[in-house]
Formats: sequence, C-alpha cells, structure tokens
Amino acid sequence: MEMHPFVAMNGIEKSFNGVPVLKKVTLEVERGEIHALLGENGAGKSTLMNILGGVHQPDSGQILIGGEEIKLANPHVSQAQGISFIHQELNMVGDLRVYENMFLGSEIRTRFGFLNVEEMCRQTHEILAQLGVSIDPKEYVRNLATSYKQLIEISKALLHKSQLIIMDEPTTSLAEHEVSRLFILMKNLKKSGVSIIYISHKLKEIQEVCDRYTVLRDGQLVKTDIMQNENLEVITKLMVGKSISQDRYVHEHEFGELALEVQGLTSTGLFKHIDFTVRQGEIVGFTGLAGDGRTELFESLFGYRKKYTGTVKVKGKPVHITHPRKALQAGMGYVPKDRKENAIIKDLSVIHNMSLSSMGNFERMGFIQDKKEQEQFNTYKKALNIKVHNPRITIDKLSGGNQQKVIIAKWLEAETDILIFDNPTQGIDVGAKQEIYQQILTLAKLGKAIIILSSEAPEVMRICHSIHVMYHGEITARFTGDEASEEEIMHYATGAKREGEKIG
Amino acid sequence: MANIDTKEYSPESPSVKSRLTWLWSEYSVIIAFVIIYIGASAMNPRFLDINNQLNILMQVSIIGIIALGMTVVMLSGGIDLSVGSVLALAGVISVLALNASGSILVGVFTALLVGSFAGFLNGLMVAKGRIASFIATLGMMAGARSIALYIAEGGSVSGEVSGFTAIANNNLWIFDFPVIIFFVMAVLIYVLMHKTRFGRYVYALGSNEKAAMLSAIRVDRIKIGVYTLIGTLVGIAAVIETSRLNSISSSSSGSQYELDAIAAVIIGGTRMTGGRGKIIGTIFGILILGILNNMMNLMNVSPHLQGFVKGLIIIIAVVFQKRE
Repeated sequence: MEMHPFVAMNGIEKSFNGVPVLKKVTLEVERGEIHALLGENGAGKSTLMNILGGVHQPDSGQILIGGEEIKLANPHVSQAQGISFIHQELNMVGDLRVYENMFLGSEIRTRFGFLNVEEMCRQTHEILAQLGVSIDPKEYVRNLATSYKQLIEISKALLHKSQLIIMDEPTTSLAEHEVSRLFILMKNLKKSGVSIIYISHKLKEIQEVCDRYTVLRDGQLVKTDIMQNENLEVITKLMVGKSISQDRYVHEHEFGELALEVQGLTSTGLFKHIDFTVRQGEIVGFTGLAGDGRTELFESLFGYRKKYTGTVKVKGKPVHITHPRKALQAGMGYVPKDRKENAIIKDLSVIHNMSLSSMGNFERMGFIQDKKEQEQFNTYKKALNIKVHNPRITIDKLSGGNQQKVIIAKWLEAETDILIFDNPTQGIDVGAKQEIYQQILTLAKLGKAIIILSSEAPEVMRICHSIHVMYHGEITARFTGDEASEEEIMHYATGAKREGEKIG
Repeated sequence: MANIDTKEYSPESPSVKSRLTWLWSEYSVIIAFVIIYIGASAMNPRFLDINNQLNILMQVSIIGIIALGMTVVMLSGGIDLSVGSVLALAGVISVLALNASGSILVGVFTALLVGSFAGFLNGLMVAKGRIASFIATLGMMAGARSIALYIAEGGSVSGEVSGFTAIANNNLWIFDFPVIIFFVMAVLIYVLMHKTRFGRYVYALGSNEKAAMLSAIRVDRIKIGVYTLIGTLVGIAAVIETSRLNSISSSSSGSQYELDAIAAVIIGGTRMTGGRGKIIGTIFGILILGILNNMMNLMNVSPHLQGFVKGLIIIIAVVFQKRE
C-alpha cells in the first residue's frame, strides 16, 4: 500500500481580479480511483481543474504528485506529469484521420524523417482495442459519432501514458448507450490503475460510476466522502447549500393580458413540444443544464433559426417569425448570451450600439441626427447608471456590466413589449448584477413581458414569477417562483426526475 | 467598482504616447500621404506643376470611383473581384445601346443598369446563396469578361454619337469632369456611410454579422445593397472610361482595376475583415497610388517595374496596420 495519495492538492487558493474563487481547497485522488468533483456553476470546479492542468497558477497552496511537491507551471509540465484534461468541447481536427489526431504534435517518424504511418496506425489500433472499440485508424474524425470522438480523446490521454484523466462533463453530448459504454471504459481504466476526476451535473451517473466525491461551493470545500454511503438528495443539498438562500426579488403586482403564447414548438434535434405562455408584467424563467436547448428555442422564437414547427401568438395574434426584424416588429426583443459574440458590435461606438435596432427613432428625412442619438443615450445613461465618460469610444472598452446595460438600452429604445434575456448576468460583477435585476423588475412593473434564460437556478428563483425547467429539449417541470426549490430544479434539470404536465 | 474604472478609457489623462498612437492609427494614411507628397516635390520640381497635379487627379478618378464602392464592400466584410470585367461589359453594352439609339442618355443609363445588375447578382450569390464573396465575384469576373468578349467579338467597340466624348473630356474651370464626378461620388458615399442607417448597418455587419442580425438588421438586404452599389459605381466608371477615348476594349479595358481599387482601400486603412475603415482613407489611398505612378513616370522608371513598387507599398501599408 502506498503512503501517499496519487495526487494531493492542499490549501489551494486562487482569486481573479481580487475576487476569491478558491478558498483553501483540498483535493486528494488515490491511484485507480474515480473521483467525482461536484458543485454548481461558479463553485470553482473548473478553476481547480485548470490549476491541476497547468492552465492557472494557484496563489497559494501546494500540489503533491506521488508525495512530491510539484509546480505545474504550464500545461506541458502537467502533461509530462501524466495528467490529461478532456474538456467539455472536444479538441479534434475533423479533417484529419483518427491516427493523425491521436499523434498530433507527437508524430512518430522514420529514420528518414518521414511520418511512420504504419507504426502510428498500429499503436492507435492497439489502444482502441484496449478500450474495446474497433475504429479504422484511417477514418476521418468528422465521420465519427460524438461518442467515438470522446473515446479518441480518451485514447489520446492513454497514449501519453496519463495516470490521471480529468473529464469535464463528458456525457453532455452522448446518448444513453454511449454513456454506458464510456462507463465500462472508465471502470476498465480504473482497474489498470488510472485515476479519473469526473466533473458532471448528472448525479445519477456519478453514483453509478464514482468511488468518492468532493463537493465545492462558493470556492470552498464542503465535503469529501465515499459515494456509496450517500444518497442523491443529500449531495444536492450539499451543492446548493442552505445558508446562502438569497431573498427573492419579486414584488407582487397584477399581470396584464397574455403577451406571448407558444404551442407545440418543435425543432428536430433541438427541442420538442414546447408550450408556455407569458403575461404582461410577468417574469418567466427557463433553466436547465448545458445542452437543454433553451437558447436554441428562443433563438428560433426570435427568428434567428428558421426550421421549427408550432404556433406562436403575440397578444393573441398568430405570427410567423422568420427573421429577427419580424420578431422586432411583432414586439419581441432579445438580449443574447455570450455578449461578445452575439450582442456587442465592437467596432461601433457605445451610442451607435444603443441605437442600432431602432434607427428610425433618430432619423429625419433619412439622415441620422447625431444630436438626437446623443440625447437619448444620456437618458439611458442616467436611467440605467451606465458608467462611461465618453460614449463615442467603441463599446469593447467598457466593462461587461456596462456593455450589458447598453444592450438593454438598445432594446428599451426599440420599445418591444416582450423582452428575452439569455444569461443576462454572464460575466458581470456582483454590483452590476443587482442593478440589472432591479432593472428587469422595473420593466416588469411597467407591464413588459419578460423571459429570462439562465443556467443558474438561484438566479431564476430570485427574480422569476414562474420557472420552466428544461432537459434535453423538453420542459420537464414548471414551478411558480416561490414554490421552487433549488434541489427540485436540479432533479428535473439533470433528468433524475421528470413529470408530464405539472403546472402551478 | 474600481475595476470598472480601470478598464475604461479615460480621456482626462491620456499619455503623450497613447495620444500619438491614436493619431497614427486614425490618420496614418494622411501622414503617409503628406510625407510622400513632400518627398515627390523634393525629388522632381515638375511634380508640383498645376497641370501635373490635375493630371494625377484625372488619372485616379476612374479607379477612385470604383475604390469608393470597394471600401463599402470591404467594410461589410466582403470583396469584389469582378469590377474590372463588369466595367468592360457595361462599357461594351452601353456603346451598343448608344449607337443603336443615338441618345447619350440611353447609353449612360444602360451602363448604370448593366453595372448595378451585375452587382445585384453578386449580392444575391453572397447573401442568399451563401457563397464566399471572393468566389462569387471571381465567377462574375470570368463570366462578365467572357460575355463582353463575345459581344464585341474579342475587339473594341467605338461610339458613333457625337458629344459622347464630352463626358470625360470637358472640364469645369480647371477640373476635368471625371475628377468632379469622383469628388461628388466621394461626398455622396461619405454621407451614405456616416449619415444614413445603411452605412451604420454596413459597419455593424462587417464587425459582427451575428450580432447585427440579432439586432434585427436585415443582413441579407444590406449585403445585396452593398454589391449593387459598387456595381452602379462601376457603371459610372464604365461611362467615363468609354467616353475618354470614345471606345472600349472587351479584352483589355478594366483589367486589373480590382487590384488597384483593393490596394487603395487597404492603403487607406480599411480592415480586410470589415467593420473598420473610412472613405477619407480610401481617397488618400488612391491619391498615394496616383502620386507614386506619376513620380515613376516623371523619373522614367520602367513601366515594367511600376507594379513592383505598387506591390511593395501595399505590403508596407498592411504591415503597419497589423500593429494595432
């Protein structure tokens, strides 16, 4: 028996921009163990793993591998120590063959400097056979199913003689039978002495395959224990934490008439049979895990995606929306997620970003009136507390929270009755978050119908009147804002529980 | 909220260095123009002669008009390689229409129509067909040239209506008509790009197409508009080109115009991927090209070497822009 655990991280601390993300976290992984790392979004899981993968450096604390202290200065050092990190998004080159992907960057060459294809194929075949799969090493990766790509990623880790494999939500893109194949594989790896750190939100899976678990919450270690002893309810509670229950923002006010009715919305492979309604003044939340289809659902509703069936009624009138412009005309506004890619136009000034969706308001005889734009921006600057000295600078120079406020101003200026917010507080600091919540509430009071999409259950619980939980493109549960509990939401979001039609 | 303030640009305390970098990044092409202009005057006294100066303007006006449209296309994130061929096609067809009708107006109108229709087709291919602009306009480049050659049976066609040559060869005070047309077009395009929503949308589309679409902008229509616009400008250029010598060659007219126009836009500081750049920059870009050509002629540099110098200038311009 060994004295030391295979990998030990002791008292790891890390903060970004003065915000502590990890506070004295300790994690120990034994040889040949599958260790589950659990926690909500933002609990610090990925930061901890990035430290182990050599991507980030800890502010303090030590990392021991086989009892010796090691400094993981960069990903190469980490890899040389036998640690492989399989990210949620696969890093495969689709236009290369399987063996070429396996040996990318570490190709075997013959004495003459040419690629030794035979040898690479042989080794690839050997490793894949070990995993119990038969893929032609010369097949192009783009032709393979996602689960096979996942397997190749794992084979790559084995090829580098990895002793510890970190898997970040490996099952989000896998079908059920593929998941079970992955689990068999993981158990085989375990037998051969390889350790695995397994990150997932799907507790059922974790119980099936993991030996021990560690729960993080708000950057702190909550508990490490043996998996068998626990039931899922307890673990969910540990992840959520009772202590941090924040007050709900919702102030009751009367709802107006129906603003949006959606019936039987289906888009193959993305979402199916979506029914819901939103009243004027109501804040409706949609939550779920990655891959639940909520963003695709609302991108379709907003006309960005066209291939869907079902009926949509705005204020009782059926509409057929095939372009965001039509959505705007029907009275819908959309603040997308991933601000940098989807919302801000970084080469345009702050003012021009604000006016982009409603140029008509600033024109006279077809010409843009700069003064009008400037004046209107100043009203929003005051109303939304946008911090900017000179609004003529390009928007990318603002902080995330201020950028988001400008985008909100853009849709306020468009004067739509329905506003969809997708991850509205993504990458925004705490202070600005509160302001944005307040703003959303004010809008609801003014009678706008509001839809909020968020991967963070606490967020929708805090501000929404009713909550829809999505899993694999379906609405699996509906709650009213005050009856929802985070554990309940988690159960439905992870697919652990589902119900046909329960509506409050 | 200290972290917000540090991220933000604060105009109160710009360092000298940051102010200089800003000046350079915004006006580098004008600074380069001034340097080249002074250099040219020092190297050859004939350069400053008023007739020589006006000659330079005359020589750049046709490419200049095309380069204005190219700026708009490149701001939208595209490129148009077909301008030279479309110019030849529009020229050939307009001369035929001119001779058949005997009306100058019909001739001019035909050129504009052919140019804008070719541009519209480019726009359709790019926007609706989702073909990369490089490929779509490369196809148009080959196709338009081929049709021009076929119609003119490989040769030139000449105008038979008196007065048609007046368009390019008359002048108002000291300025030739083409120069005036170029500057009028420059002002129009400037206003279009900076004072109307079309211009705003073009910048938005070139900077971030997905965000532009999610801001409820009809991206497809803007793209079609952009290519139709450059097509129309090429039509105008075709009228001037034809009128200057009262004939147009189906094989050689307009050849390599796309390269000169793209060069002017790049030298003028417009970003290849779109979203950033200025009409003013392009105007100075085209003037720089004109002065360089003129200097080389005055100094008796072999015409075969002039392409080399031009190539060098383009590469230097891009290298400097990379430093942002």
